[in-house]
Amino acid sequence: MKIPLSWLREFTDVQLTAEQLADALTLRGLEVRGLERWGANWNKMVIGELLEVAPHPKADRLQLTKVRIGDGPILNIVCGARNIAAGQRIPVALVGAEMPDGRRIERAEKMGIASEGMLCSGQELDATDDGDGILILDASAPLGVPLVDYLGEEVIDVDVKPNRGDLLSILGLAREVGAITGAPVAYAARPLKEGADAVGAGLALRVTDEALAPHVVLRVVDGLKVAASPDRVQMRLKAAGLRSISNVVDATNYIMLELGKPTHAFDRAKVGETVQIRLAKKGESLETLDHEVRSLDATDLVVADERAALALAGVMGGASSEVSPSTTSVIVESAIFAPTSVRRTAQRHSLRSEASHRFERGQERRLAALGADQVAALLTEWAGGVARSGRLVSGAEEAPVTTLNFRPSRVRALLGVSLTDDEQVALLGSIGINADTVADASKIAVTPKRSVSAEKGSARAVRVPSWRSDLEIEADLAEEVARLYGYERIPTTIPSADLPPHRPSPTLLRDRVRRLLADAGVQEVVTHALVSAGHAALWSEPATLVTGPLAASEGSAGGASIVLQNPLSADHDRLRQSLLPSLLDRVDVNLRYGATSGAIFEVGRGYGSTKGGPTEWTRLAIAVWGDREQGAPSAGAAAWNLDELKRLLAQVAHLVGERPGYGASIESAVLHPGINAVITGERVAGVLGELHPASPIWRDEPRILLAEVAIAGLRAGRVAATHVSLPPATPPVTRDIALLIPAATTVGQVVAVARETITRATAVELFDLFDGPPLAPGERSAGLRFTFQPTATGADDEAIAAELAAFEGAVLRACGARVRGVEGQ
Amino acid sequence: MDLAALEKQLRTLQADAATRISAAASTAELDELGSSLLGKRGAITEILRGIGALPADDRPKIGVVANEVRAAIDASVTARRVALSAGELLERIERERVDATTPGPAPRLGSLHPIPETIAAITEIMSSFGFVVAEGQEIEDDVTNFQLLNIPEDHPSRDLWDTLYLQEPGRLLRTHTSPGQIRTMQAGGPPIRVILPGRCFRYEAVDASHGFEFHQVEGLLVDRGATLADLKGILDELAKGLFGSAARTRFRPGYYPFTEPSVAVDVSWPGSKDGWMTILGAGMVHPVVLENGGIDPETHQGFAFGLGVERIAMLRHGIPDLRAFLENDLRFLAGFR
Repeated sequence: MKIPLSWLREFTDVQLTAEQLADALTLRGLEVRGLERWGANWNKMVIGELLEVAPHPKADRLQLTKVRIGDGPILNIVCGARNIAAGQRIPVALVGAEMPDGRRIERAEKMGIASEGMLCSGQELDATDDGDGILILDASAPLGVPLVDYLGEEVIDVDVKPNRGDLLSILGLAREVGAITGAPVAYAARPLKEGADAVGAGLALRVTDEALAPHVVLRVVDGLKVAASPDRVQMRLKAAGLRSISNVVDATNYIMLELGKPTHAFDRAKVGETVQIRLAKKGESLETLDHEVRSLDATDLVVADERAALALAGVMGGASSEVSPSTTSVIVESAIFAPTSVRRTAQRHSLRSEASHRFERGQERRLAALGADQVAALLTEWAGGVARSGRLVSGAEEAPVTTLNFRPSRVRALLGVSLTDDEQVALLGSIGINADTVADASKIAVTPKRSVSAEKGSARAVRVPSWRSDLEIEADLAEEVARLYGYERIPTTIPSADLPPHRPSPTLLRDRVRRLLADAGVQEVVTHALVSAGHAALWSEPATLVTGPLAASEGSAGGASIVLQNPLSADHDRLRQSLLPSLLDRVDVNLRYGATSGAIFEVGRGYGSTKGGPTEWTRLAIAVWGDREQGAPSAGAAAWNLDELKRLLAQVAHLVGERPGYGASIESAVLHPGINAVITGERVAGVLGELHPASPIWRDEPRILLAEVAIAGLRAGRVAATHVSLPPATPPVTRDIALLIPAATTVGQVVAVARETITRATAVELFDLFDGPPLAPGERSAGLRFTFQPTATGADDEAIAAELAAFEGAVLRACGARVRGVEGQ
Repeated sequence: MDLAALEKQLRTLQADAATRISAAASTAELDELGSSLLGKRGAITEILRGIGALPADDRPKIGVVANEVRAAIDASVTARRVALSAGELLERIERERVDATTPGPAPRLGSLHPIPETIAAITEIMSSFGFVVAEGQEIEDDVTNFQLLNIPEDHPSRDLWDTLYLQEPGRLLRTHTSPGQIRTMQAGGPPIRVILPGRCFRYEAVDASHGFEFHQVEGLLVDRGATLADLKGILDELAKGLFGSAARTRFRPGYYPFTEPSVAVDVSWPGSKDGWMTILGAGMVHPVVLENGGIDPETHQGFAFGLGVERIAMLRHGIPDLRAFLENDLRFLAGFR
């Protein structure tokens, strides 16, 4: 809400500067978004008087003028406007002035005659929309005075919150300013002289739905002449952010800004004999003022006549009854409409207007008649109209007076202040919330739906002003007390009441994982959860990948992709099911920024829609490409590869006591079908591999590797303490097993068999892998080293031997792999 | 062989050894020479083999001589070793000299993203006041995201949140972390001190200070006696924790449907460019919200607050454009250590 201060001063005395006022309003909860100074850029522009206006000898369109500027020399100025005459006071841009559009005023020859400045139009000053004639000032305008001192305006832009519809008016803001300054606030209504004709002659009002239109007032003004508004009005509207349209439309807008009461003027000649307020009919349509033809819904409230809908009630007028230059008589409609109905209609037609904005926030009933009268008064003043006598009225004008009770002791307890009962009542009184000593103050509204009884004598009653429909409960008054007292005066304390029981942070493990990866040289990223259809299609984790307790704690992937109903763009129209496409996207961006190598990770959520509703799961994703680290000059750089990625994953898995296994590869659009594996384990599961060569961002060099895993406790887990036994004095022993693995078998399968059969081993590592002659094509020779920790008695040799023998048999049966020898001590 | 002959042999050996020892060119040659003279199969041992032919009275005498010779040789070996090894050490040092001033291979350095790190900073401060972390769901329903927070359907206050809706009716992406207040209250009664960080979504065009995905941290305290003064105290501490102990706070009325009274908090600190910067919204929990959370507003009260993580991170790190956070340019992220 933009408030020209000159307008505000019509209702209350303001001694503060604009800056002081802005600060004071902000500290009282009316946040000032900005301060504008109209005319601050009017340099070297002063008020002059036309002494002579004579025709230019050589140009019909130009006139020669002599202009007096205070006591200075008389200026000769050539002017092209036709609306000037001797004796007028006008704005003069002196030589050297810079116009708002950047043009510089120079001494110039115009068709042979020197011109020492320029007479300005309202448009040239950016003050009105009139570019045809010079802006003619009042005869009382002080000569020689800088124009800014006479026409300049300070405008405060206040952010009005949705609960304070009453502040969408100059008068409403004046009340707040009055509460700050202590100065009285008064609205002097313009007296309205009525003509002889009665409003009811040939016009009736019928409201069919009083719930949606509880109070409607019509006035008729005849004999008016539609024209431009007075310059002062145009300037004021412009400063307040509205465009001047015509004196009739401007009159309604002027009162809307002044009182917060939207009204609408219909061309009387285009309206039949009955103004109806009714719900739209099925199939009915209406061309609104913006020249859109809108098909109406049966819940849209319309203003109509006996033939057709004329306007969307409280939202926008219709084109058929629009005020035009030929209009001579108007119906002014000023009504109270149900906020919800207006809001729904405005939303349904995507048609938010200044009027609907105010109706949605509630309207004070008494403004209906006042608004209609004030618009009519302005129409007689600005457009020479004559108001018909009386109003057509439906519904009661006065709303019942509301009282609200509060317990000053509760206000003290809520705010932590020691304000006495009387001090609180006095603060409320400063904003017009006056004490009601008659009312019964025993019922306290704790919420709009729940009241409690106050102890006798502990509560006070106040009368809620008719414009403060936002005050409903005791806590609302507590806020008013705090606001009027000043938040800055409320003490600053530290709460010392009960502490809740300890609950471990859900991020304990997550933070350790993140720290570990960052310390290992992997950069954390945070990417969009909303992705495109193409993204989502790249990869979604199959529900079979993470199962059992791990799925229960980390969330089970799966279900359909969740698509937005109202996406901002197709690039972000659905929730991701996997982090990998988002990471790939960031790899792509960084490759384009020249990062030929890198390593990134994210811990984030995937989302899916299942029968039971939407679900969310938590995963760690890693993407690495190029050099793992910078090499020494002597040695080459070490590139990321599958083993290095596994080394990283092993470090992460170690945090939850897991040694991940690697199982059969899977088919997907994101992973290289020949270079990937699923990660298996009770506490870690997922996938890893190289980027699919069909991916648009795949490149031969550097290769991009990816992993996405579920980790037990990543979502909300703690790092549990483990039982640890003291090691015996005997050193660990190892057994190296050489195996011949047939073509169709993976090392992962062999290791899986080893893990099942050789349960005593504390570690399994692959120390050799070899193929080529003399082995058969596809056949591989593998060396596995098992580490065992013998007990103090040393009686394990036989048990170890038995397990190795069991492995030898099992691996042959399950994988066709043949043990070629066992070595070790 | 008699005593005299044997003694002569030893003395000759001693003289001869002295010459050879002083001629030894390296400690390795010296070691070899030493053991060829003094070792188990060395020259002295060889000479003393003849001792058996001597009369028993002479044997001790020749033993004395042999010990003398042995000691003399040993002494000159030691002396020679000292001389040789000093030179050899110098030679080794010169041979092994490298240019150790090379910069060394740079390790790949990772860091944590400023958004979760800013959340961590807030959490760390609040945990000292007994606040614990809880996390909620990002896919919410209209009831919890709005209605239970005293934001009814068709109320103009809904305009404060431009919402992204799912195709499934009634479901939406949470527009703020505030529904966590309801879920926390419903999950367990007071006393409550909880911090709810997380990702939020809004239907909002992207520019330097807005995004359709962003992060918030919600805080909620409910007990029997928490006051607006307590809210001021805690949030003043939070602001000082985030922006330095010299930071100043300004509390002014704000508007949120789920708090009453509502508070907006501005902060300014030495070196902050633009005076008062609004960093968070807060207020005393609205009685309707307490009731919706299953808590009686006649017996309990509390306060809630919400911060925009991106905004805090921008202010703390001097970042002019929040799009950088989701851009994830590694050159940008490398600045956070």
